[in-house]
Amino acid sequence: MKWHIIFAAFAAFLLVTYAEEEEEAARLLVSKQLLNKYLVENMDIVIKYTVYNVGNAAALEVEITDNSFHPDHFTHVSGELNARIDRVPPYTNVSHIVVVRPRKFGYFNFTSAEVLYRHKEDAGSLQFAASSEPGEAIIVSFRDYDKQFSSHVIDWAAFAVMTLPSLAIPFALWYSSKSKYEKLLKTTKKH
Amino acid sequence: MMNRFIIFSILICGISEIFAETCQKPEVIASAYVTEDATILTNVAFTTQFVLKCSNGVKGITLYAEVDGKSLPAARLSSDNKYQNLIKIVVSWTEDVKKARSGDYNIKLYDDERYAAIRKALRNGEDPNSVKPLVVVVLNNPGIYRGPWINSELLAVLLAALVSYSAFSSKFKLLA
Repeated sequence: MKWHIIFAAFAAFLLVTYAEEEEEAARLLVSKQLLNKYLVENMDIVIKYTVYNVGNAAALEVEITDNSFHPDHFTHVSGELNARIDRVPPYTNVSHIVVVRPRKFGYFNFTSAEVLYRHKEDAGSLQFAASSEPGEAIIVSFRDYDKQFSSHVIDWAAFAVMTLPSLAIPFALWYSSKSKYEKLLKTTKKH
Repeated sequence: MMNRFIIFSILICGISEIFAETCQKPEVIASAYVTEDATILTNVAFTTQFVLKCSNGVKGITLYAEVDGKSLPAARLSSDNKYQNLIKIVVSWTEDVKKARSGDYNIKLYDDERYAAIRKALRNGEDPNSVKPLVVVVLNNPGIYRGPWINSELLAVLLAALVSYSAFSSKFKLLA
């Protein structure tokens, strides 16, 4: 599951209500990516929002809001789900990162984040843009993940302990008889 | 692993220039989170949060951050209006799991004026480090866990081989 490759393809999802070609205005493309190989219950999910300004003017007061992580389903670990970047210069991109942890496992539909921005210095109203949607993904339960990927050290240690008697008992028997014969050998040599 | 590193910060006092729009004597409280367990991640995330306090109560300044020569936006919290005279910002970036280094990361914060000076220095081919940042915060990354060094299966096979080798070699020594 190479999320970043799949979702980069969706990066060109945009909503611009009006913008003429020659007009000096900012146009934003917003992508939302999950930078995870697997989504696991109670483990970090890294979400990266990248804002590309493809317009010929700077976008001002770019506000990224993501309401798709309900507190019942996700613990917010770090980063801000509601952040404002003062200025995005033309033909540049900026990124913003949020880390969350899912509380439950199962399917989850990752929907888009909302972006509000001012496309011109003197723009009266704010522009609205929606980010790309990572889409539905499965969140694996921690038990299943651990079964597959943990180092199983305890399991192997238990196995070693269980195999120990079948190795140690014959060895001990052999060793005791060996030392007995050596003792006998020593006593016979003395005579 | 809710590791929240308390990062120590070095304050560089504001220059004595009296401008209404520059932050005087900045004080910063920083907290950070690094995704240390990178077994299921493709990129390591670094997120830092700053609460900046200026002695002259400046609020509406734009800040820029720089880490390892990469310039990053300092995203402001939308809800920072309720904090009086405090500027709450987040600086976040990602690095490839294979390339992320451990150790100290210097996060330099610049205001508009200093950032413009840096860009001017870069244009003129001068050393951009001559511009003093507003605040430098050090983030320590203790290292990223990419999974166990050796598989326990492999270790078990090696141990079994060792035991059987010693057993057979001593047996042949006895029979010889």
